[in-house]
Amino acid sequence: MALPFQDAAANRRAFLGLAGLSALAVAGCTSTPKGGGTSTDVNKIDAILPKFKALEVGKPDILVPPPAASGYLSYPSSLVDAITDKPGKGGGVIKVTTLNWGTVPPGLGSNKYLGSINTELGVDMDFSINDGNTYADKLTAILGARDITDVLVAPSWNTNIPRFPDAVQTLFEDLTEYLKGDAVLKYPMLASFPKEAWQGSVWGGKLAAVPFVNDNPFAWALFYRKDILDAAGLGPAKTADELYQLGKKITKPDQGVWAFSDITDYVQMIFKVPGAKGGWRVEGGKIVNKIETPEFMAALEFLVKIFKEGLVHPDLVGSKGADASQLFNSGKIVVQQNGLGAWQSALREQLKINANYKIQPMKVFSHDGSASPLVWGSADPIFYTFIKKGLGKARTEEILACLNWCAAPFGTKEWELRQYGVEGVHFTRGTDNVPKTNDLYNNEYANQFTFLSGRNAAVTGGSDTPNYVQDYTTWTKDAVKYLEPNPWAGVRTEDPVKLSQLNTPTQDLIKDVVRGRRPLSDWPTIVADWKKNGGDEGRDFYAKALPN
Amino acid sequence: MTSESTKVAGTVAARPRPRPMPAMRSRWRARWRRDLPLVLMTVPAAGFLLLFHYLPTLGNFLAFKDYNPFLGDSAIEAMFLSDWIGFGNFQLLFEDPLFWSAVRNTLGITAFQLVFFFPVPIALALLLNSILSQRLRGLVQGIIYLPHFFSWVLVVTFFLMMLGGDGLFAHTLRDVGLRMPNVMSNPDTFIYLVTSEAVWKDVGWGTIIFLAALSSIDFSLYEAAAADGAGRWRRLWHITLPGIRPVIVLLLILRLGDALSVGFEQFFLQRDAVGAGAAEVLDTYVYWQGIATQNYGIGAAAGLFKGVVGLLLILAANRVAQRFGEQGVYSR
Repeated sequence: MALPFQDAAANRRAFLGLAGLSALAVAGCTSTPKGGGTSTDVNKIDAILPKFKALEVGKPDILVPPPAASGYLSYPSSLVDAITDKPGKGGGVIKVTTLNWGTVPPGLGSNKYLGSINTELGVDMDFSINDGNTYADKLTAILGARDITDVLVAPSWNTNIPRFPDAVQTLFEDLTEYLKGDAVLKYPMLASFPKEAWQGSVWGGKLAAVPFVNDNPFAWALFYRKDILDAAGLGPAKTADELYQLGKKITKPDQGVWAFSDITDYVQMIFKVPGAKGGWRVEGGKIVNKIETPEFMAALEFLVKIFKEGLVHPDLVGSKGADASQLFNSGKIVVQQNGLGAWQSALREQLKINANYKIQPMKVFSHDGSASPLVWGSADPIFYTFIKKGLGKARTEEILACLNWCAAPFGTKEWELRQYGVEGVHFTRGTDNVPKTNDLYNNEYANQFTFLSGRNAAVTGGSDTPNYVQDYTTWTKDAVKYLEPNPWAGVRTEDPVKLSQLNTPTQDLIKDVVRGRRPLSDWPTIVADWKKNGGDEGRDFYAKALPN
Repeated sequence: MTSESTKVAGTVAARPRPRPMPAMRSRWRARWRRDLPLVLMTVPAAGFLLLFHYLPTLGNFLAFKDYNPFLGDSAIEAMFLSDWIGFGNFQLLFEDPLFWSAVRNTLGITAFQLVFFFPVPIALALLLNSILSQRLRGLVQGIIYLPHFFSWVLVVTFFLMMLGGDGLFAHTLRDVGLRMPNVMSNPDTFIYLVTSEAVWKDVGWGTIIFLAALSSIDFSLYEAAAADGAGRWRRLWHITLPGIRPVIVLLLILRLGDALSVGFEQFFLQRDAVGAGAAEVLDTYVYWQGIATQNYGIGAAAGLFKGVVGLLLILAANRVAQRFGEQGVYSR
């Protein structure tokens, strides 16, 4: 039906048009977009920081070196009423954009947890909760469209997206006058945040956000189903080879059981691949990216092996839509790379379904079992809470007062209400005073006020998560010793556009090699291309950003 | 005049004509009164086109700017305050081998689906048309339309649960001692996989227009042909297919105009499974390189490129169709 020649003629014309266009570009009638890339050393900003004033409420039982959180073994029998005034001044609904990893809870009006806190606040906070895994994409869209709510929470690992500093200047209120020096004493809970946390909240020489104090500096933990390994007579791995052997023994496709989730990041940690600022380190004065290191090659080799031998669950290999945590909880995978933050809630929920459910993170180890493993992490604040620009002084103060309420520490009535909801509705109190949450809580609680609060969560728990506090602090006490030092600590960076554009293609190539679509021997070529296409530009950028 | 409007005009002419009015004005008013319901019916569609197609088209000038969304007092103002950089975005785009790889993948998938997807709804419509029982036909139509309303996440998950390594077929085969071939994460066979998924999802939906065209064929033609001794195949070849040929050509031309869009979610979801080398299409490229990195200028340039290529393909295909005596999408 179609005449091939006619089509070809049209295509040739189109092609010539394009070629002409390129020629025009080369002839210099045109310039390419600017490359971006900024860095600020926030160590040098002291004058605008809020004054620190400690709060004396409760002492932890298990001390863990900061920035990791200490643990509380017992729950106070009487709680302090820390805030007696209602922060709300009748300013109407405060709309909040936040994130969570999990199902979306019922909204304002049909959620008793929100309702009871809003009554306490004296003003309604209404949440729009986004999927934490894809939040960066959502964030670029809403910031670009300037379609922001009164309050917006952004995790620190999403703040290096291109033009984020521009967005902060344009869209969010400058909080310096509200919080610097003694001004912060109006908000005593916020005044108890450490100086380092506030340093992280400075953009363009202004205090732009309320920080979430980091209590979980660890990027990843390698969780395993202790109940399943115990039943098989196996223990956690202490070397890379043991991990591989464990995977071989536990994978049984005919029973629908596979060993691993996609553990690409954690395996890099095992092989001591650098992780600071997305994978850079300083080697004798030279800046090196992780993909150029021999450690990375070794990690790739290991990953190729476990993917090739089918030790990773095929659903996770097959689609982005598959849920690793679900497979882990149902015992279809036995070892999962996950954040520590998921531990307690998974334990609490799964114990209700399966009384034998036991999970533990493997004690951190290095590939050869040597005494000095490497742990990826960051001491930056976990989240930043921004307030929309131009809401007016009264409204901004009202919102800050609400944030102050949310930031009440462990041992106060406000903390309990924020963390567990209402007694008799969301939890019952055991003999040890510890709140034991119910299904309504699981359904309604999605870290709404918690991620806003800035207050590091106290590591505490009762009979609904037995032994959690001890297990958690045992792991963190050990792991905190091996946290990778960050040469760029305290330097806020926005990657050059070329480097951030290189990000997805590089991830794609890593996946291609790991999943056996390209041979490992291609890696040097890939690295050479990477250098040419913006990698070297990134190296120069990080060299310049390095504090002397 | 497009063929569509000629047809409409034809039906209008068949109505009782209003009495000729001497004054222009009152004639216009009479026509307005007569056509008001028709106009009202098209208002929502026209509004939709205006709001979601024509208005955003104005934004294409961003392709020639170094767009910084945070300039000025609003996102609209930022569009005008950003620097003009001529063809800089296009230069970056055309220099990027990943862009051409995405274009290649997209065109490859389009060409493949033109051969292996496009004819399937026609065949299915012919089959459906031959079912005489109205109830059975309605039931089959209901069932095959249904997947069109599933989201891609569901469709991909469904395929994974059937054909994946932990899926129904894999377990069944394992029980009898066989190995399931790798279907879900094999870049070499990815094009078959996405086409099968697309067929499963949309083949039923695709039959609707063809069924409508089939029902407009004059039944007496079949009777006459049968009386003359024409068999089933001859009737198909000489009556049915020529009867729906204008519709086939029309849809084919429109499909060619969309040659550079093959969908987004389907490829986004399965990208890691088969790698960017096989699954990166133009729309996902724009997403990763334009939107996720706030490079809206590049995104707009890629979109404009897509539009221009689509237009050229439509023009070319339309011309070819007219050479063959078809009406095509429009005529001069």
